[in-house]
Amino acid sequence: MIDSLQRWILRIAPLVALPTTLASLLAIFFWVPSDQSLGLSQRIFYWHVPSATGCFVAFGIAGLSSVAHLRTRRADWDHAAHAAVSVGMVFATIVLGSGSIWAHTAWGAWWTWDSRLTTFLVLWLVFASYLLLRTFAQGNEMAPRYAAVLAIVGAVNVPLVMMATRLFRTIHPQVINNPQGGIDDPRMVQALLLSFAALLSLVLWLWALKLMQLRAAGRIELLEGDRHADGHALPARSSRS
Amino acid sequence: MLALLWKDIVLEARSRETLPALFVLGLLVLVVFDFSLALRPEDAGRFAGGILWVAIVFASVLALGRTFLVERENSCIEGLLTSPLDRGSIFLAKLAVNTILLLAFELLLLPAYSLLYGVTLTANPGGLAVVMVGGTIGLAATGTLFALAALGTRAREMVLPLLVLPLQIPLLIVAVQSTQMVLNGAGLAALGMRGELLLGFDVLAVTGGWLLFEFVLVD
Repeated sequence: MIDSLQRWILRIAPLVALPTTLASLLAIFFWVPSDQSLGLSQRIFYWHVPSATGCFVAFGIAGLSSVAHLRTRRADWDHAAHAAVSVGMVFATIVLGSGSIWAHTAWGAWWTWDSRLTTFLVLWLVFASYLLLRTFAQGNEMAPRYAAVLAIVGAVNVPLVMMATRLFRTIHPQVINNPQGGIDDPRMVQALLLSFAALLSLVLWLWALKLMQLRAAGRIELLEGDRHADGHALPARSSRS
Repeated sequence: MLALLWKDIVLEARSRETLPALFVLGLLVLVVFDFSLALRPEDAGRFAGGILWVAIVFASVLALGRTFLVERENSCIEGLLTSPLDRGSIFLAKLAVNTILLLAFELLLLPAYSLLYGVTLTANPGGLAVVMVGGTIGLAATGTLFALAALGTRAREMVLPLLVLPLQIPLLIVAVQSTQMVLNGAGLAALGMRGELLLGFDVLAVTGGWLLFEFVLVD
């Protein structure tokens, strides 16, 4: 299942990602009108929000693949989770970086301990520790299971972090589904949709690429294990894989 | 399961290793905080809960990292696994040991803390006890679940705080705020959502650990 999924994504995602990314950049810089109160800096929004959605999608894939791995014990699901966290972290970092730049111009500070910001930072930290765990536990055959448990607990934890940080005040705006204000120009909506298409297809594309790489690395490890076990040279094609 | 719990308690009572070490560590944290923040007595009303919990978190990470060390030393863990005990019960027993250990540590630390920072603990002692126990169960549950995973890595001691601290953040937020409130004399009912979150975190962490623990054990 993972095999065909990976193949389909690698075939389709580039076709979507390349034109939409280009179009979204052109739209953001040359086409969309500037925001009335925030001015130019509001244009960060078009990549900030889809990146956040993209990293949630990736972490969601990671959580579900981790559950699947614990149930089936299949290495493919573990690779899927690992790849999703790697890609999700890239986009989570984009969200933090772009948000920080935007906050500096809009709120006058690089960082505030607002509920959403804190929740997101904790999410980032949880999955950073996931990647650290993978590095430190490399070579341990239990590593995939430790990592899967961490990913699941980390994902379940997010709503709790959200509620706990709500005990503080929030200043992060809610633009989508907000009756007052928010984005009103149709060109803004179109640019946002373009950016969504671009970044979500990028997430899937990168995930499939990383997945391909991890699966290949896993196969190489298996083959090397075989070679050490029988003392033979590395076979050109393993009958087992 | 009770036998396993009892065994670990006896082990700690005989060796008297962990508890004194934790106590001294807790004191050190309190002292370092006093110097680094140059606190005045009137600040206690705002910072007391936070400082107390930082000391507890440091101590808990050290203590919980040792959870499975004794089992590993003589490969006792294999003995545990072959026993008729199911994996969830092993988790619950270890969780109980860790909770008791941390609570004992807190019992030692609290008087010293009250003395050093001039905080009165008697404003709402029952409420304080409930909040401390609630926070401690959550810390112990997350720590116990990942202690074995951390032990399986190359960096060992370094990994456990990296794994559990991000997960414990919501618990710490509510525990610190609740502790501060009960220290200032508020009743448990006044905690509102904080109390519910504290309870919710504990329930989730204990059942989550109980369900997921079998996956971090070798089969």
